[in-house]
Amino acid sequence: MFEFLFKYPSSVFSKGDFVMLAPLPLWTLAVAVIAAAAFLAWHMNRNRGLLRGARPAAIWVLQTALVALVLFLLWHPAISIATLRPQQNIIAVLVDDSRSMATKDGAGGTKTRLEEAVGVLNHGVIDRVGERFQVRLYRFGKAVERIGKPAELTAAGGASRIGDSLKQAMAEASTLPLGAVVLLSDGADNSGGIDLETIAAIRQKRIPVHAVGFGKEKFDRDVEIDEVILPARTLADSRLNAQVTLRQNGYEKRKARLSVREGNKVLATSEVTLKSDGAPQTETLLFNAGMVGARTFQVSVDPLDGEQNTANNALSRLVSVESVKPRVLYFDGEPQWEFKFIRRAIEEDRSLGLVTMIRMTQNKIYRQGVDKPKELEDGFPTKADELFAYQALVFGSVEANYFTTAQQELIREFANRRGGGVIFLGGRATLGDGGYLRSPLAEMLPVQIPDKKGTFHREEASAELTPVGRESLICRLEERPEKNAERWKKMPVMADYQEVGDPKPGAVVLLETFAPGRRKLPLLAIQNYGRGRTAVFATSGSWRWQMQQPLSDKTHEMFWQQFLRWAIADTPGRVHASTPRPVLSDETSVKLRAEVRDKNFKMVPSAKVEARIVGPEGTSAVVEMNPVPDQDGVYAGEWAAEKPGSYVAEVVALQDKEETRDAIAFRREDGVAENFHTGQNRELLEKLAESTGGRYYTPAEASTLADRISYSEAGLTVRDTKDLWDMPIVFFLALLLRSGEWVLRRKWGVV
Amino acid sequence: MRHKTFIAAGLALFVITASFAQRGRRSYVDEEDNPAVMPADAGEKTEYAFARLRYPSGGRRSYWGGGSWAIDYPKADRQFVQGVRRLTRLHTRSVEQVVDIDGEEIYNWPWLYAVEVGNWSLNDAQAKKLRDYLLRGGFLMTDDFHGTYEWDSFMASMSRVFPDRQVVEIDSKDPIFHLLYDLDNRVQVPGIVTFGSGVTYERDGIVPHWRGIYDDKGRVVVAICFNQDNGDAWEWADHPRYPENMASQAYRVGINYIVYSMTH
Repeated sequence: MFEFLFKYPSSVFSKGDFVMLAPLPLWTLAVAVIAAAAFLAWHMNRNRGLLRGARPAAIWVLQTALVALVLFLLWHPAISIATLRPQQNIIAVLVDDSRSMATKDGAGGTKTRLEEAVGVLNHGVIDRVGERFQVRLYRFGKAVERIGKPAELTAAGGASRIGDSLKQAMAEASTLPLGAVVLLSDGADNSGGIDLETIAAIRQKRIPVHAVGFGKEKFDRDVEIDEVILPARTLADSRLNAQVTLRQNGYEKRKARLSVREGNKVLATSEVTLKSDGAPQTETLLFNAGMVGARTFQVSVDPLDGEQNTANNALSRLVSVESVKPRVLYFDGEPQWEFKFIRRAIEEDRSLGLVTMIRMTQNKIYRQGVDKPKELEDGFPTKADELFAYQALVFGSVEANYFTTAQQELIREFANRRGGGVIFLGGRATLGDGGYLRSPLAEMLPVQIPDKKGTFHREEASAELTPVGRESLICRLEERPEKNAERWKKMPVMADYQEVGDPKPGAVVLLETFAPGRRKLPLLAIQNYGRGRTAVFATSGSWRWQMQQPLSDKTHEMFWQQFLRWAIADTPGRVHASTPRPVLSDETSVKLRAEVRDKNFKMVPSAKVEARIVGPEGTSAVVEMNPVPDQDGVYAGEWAAEKPGSYVAEVVALQDKEETRDAIAFRREDGVAENFHTGQNRELLEKLAESTGGRYYTPAEASTLADRISYSEAGLTVRDTKDLWDMPIVFFLALLLRSGEWVLRRKWGVV
Repeated sequence: MRHKTFIAAGLALFVITASFAQRGRRSYVDEEDNPAVMPADAGEKTEYAFARLRYPSGGRRSYWGGGSWAIDYPKADRQFVQGVRRLTRLHTRSVEQVVDIDGEEIYNWPWLYAVEVGNWSLNDAQAKKLRDYLLRGGFLMTDDFHGTYEWDSFMASMSRVFPDRQVVEIDSKDPIFHLLYDLDNRVQVPGIVTFGSGVTYERDGIVPHWRGIYDDKGRVVVAICFNQDNGDAWEWADHPRYPENMASQAYRVGINYIVYSMTH
């Protein structure tokens, strides 16, 4: 319709420059229009006849508009636009040859996407575009390959990497006059989209990408696991919380079963009710990480009846279950029952090491769990390297000024710089009653501290889960959330509680305490602080959960083990290795990153860092990791995992003749990525086309591509001038103005 | 006559005062073995209280008419906790807590003291409860029983508490003897019955034993002071003729047992 009215496609107007071809300056047009308007006004005033009121003005407006239109055309308006020189430019045609193109949902379900694409190539692109330009045909999946004819397309590629493919195609044609790119794809990109860098590179070269999209945007009946989020590493026997995002079409309000498996062993299941069509839905699954090693967990949703694509019902994730035994330092200022029961709870956890110091008398600190007799012999650490050897700190009933100002600052830095977890428990000599408000420690607490004494009460109080607490792994005593909430309601009362203030911005309250006759107060609050995390658990009376419940009940142990695991879970070592994609889906390139710190956890910019990689079938390699510019202490490296399977990379940093290390696991999986996001990603194709100056076409519209492709500023171009005076819209507008006047005069009876 | 009236009024006032101070705690005034002054801060809520186990004792009664659980009660308890308060940072109540083995209150007091256990006679339910208490995290110190007969009597009940656990001598290297005070060189702490005789043992209990029952993690859960009477040492520590070294040892053993139970 646009082209019918305006003679040219819209891209001509959006890309071209508007010009007036008459030899007269533009102001003369304005003068002529004003003069004509004045003359018509004078004329209307003299010959108004029976016209009264505003009617002469209306007629004058229509007449003036018509005269202005004619004058405008006399000044010869036109569009100046760059067009590709025929036969001198190359058009790169990239055809998606991945497996998703074999989906039979093209042309109303009668053809595969690829068949439909080949049809478009043969009847509109290669033939018609080829008449004016040289066409280079490529197929792409994981990589780009030039082909001679459409018959070479097989839809067998393991993945679609649109961004990488565009870059490769442009690189190959960098010395040629590339005028435009035509992309035929379903947009099902497996690399997580097209990065801004690629788009910027295309824009810089001013090469328009015209995209033709194939396939249905969504299946009629399908459930897909969209994403599974799991930590990259954890401790042995840890509980893991898999956050599973799924989408469905055609099964709204139906029940589906989610499962986590390791091999054939089912670790956890959950029945969920599916939400509305197309809407992302996030569910959680709790399971035990098991023993040490690189473990692959598969999260799946059972196929539903009539489901069109069941290959996208499962996703795998790799978790490195580490053999390290993090050490927690627990300092208490006085003997308390809580101390003994926390120790007992953590003793049950083989993956946690607990070192304790308890002030028995004014002059005697009793140590337990130390590795060597000298450890902590001189009291609470005064040096960073000594304190930072632990992964988490727990403070019981100890007043702030027991620690020197330097020690208080060290504790703050333990969370802030070292990235450790720090837990403050309630007690008669801590928090508000321990002078914390006026110490550097106040800043790191997740709650405000009341400016008063007498905040600690030896009165029985109950613990209640907050809505956030229901989702927290710390408070998860049962797999199912509703059962967990019930269990917390039946929890025995605690022996005491401590008043604390409101949570600080960014902190979350997982448990509240409620004593008869008093308002609810935060009991367990957590927050991220610097690189680490801090928590306040405002009681020293949770030991009642152990003594008041049957021997078989493991509530107390579970709570404390999960609490301390939270405290140490993300505490990095001196070398912290990571990779953005622990699972390489149909790709080989693995990027490794490492942060290297010294004993005081200050960045080390001059270490020698290498990754020692071992993989399937005896694969081994040493990859040198180089400093990342402008990021002190950060090193990066890249390696190609040629074989599918699990790999372990041990990143070793050599600094001052001392080696420190960290290990990460990653896995290459082939033939999986193409099963996901198989619906046409029209949004991605449209955005790509729009941001590069091209256009998105449906297969039916693709026949117009040949006419529009020549408008490009890339390649070898010539400026073309397109007259506008003969656009049909001009004729219709003139007719409308004249007939409008006639209709009004008829209506008013003054014809 | 006037004199007797005055004494009766005094006694009545004492009972009323004691009862008032015992608010929140069940009163066992009638069963007291050796009454003591009720401290002004008796109502203070603390982390620790000396919890005396009230158990059935098969007819054996103390001087004041209570069961054998009440021997030395409450004077020994109140004198001992004065030492605990002075010598440690433990927030300690100035008066004891009597805990009946038949109630659920036992689970609120993770440290228990049982005296004259050579006379105790636990039924199956009580034995089961005590076992449950100890395995959940409780600690029991037994004291003041002597000789073969009382040992057998003690074990008759204790073997029902822990049919599958052995009573062993606690090694002097065990942390329980070093945690706060080093107690390598221990002596027999005598009861008041042998006072002045120069003999430190009762019946055929000539050799003192510090025995224990350990849990699966190697922690002492029952500390058995056999052929010795720490309770009397606490009770008579204020007596000028009670040997100072023995009273001191009794305090140190008791304190070590308490802080051990709060750290293990």
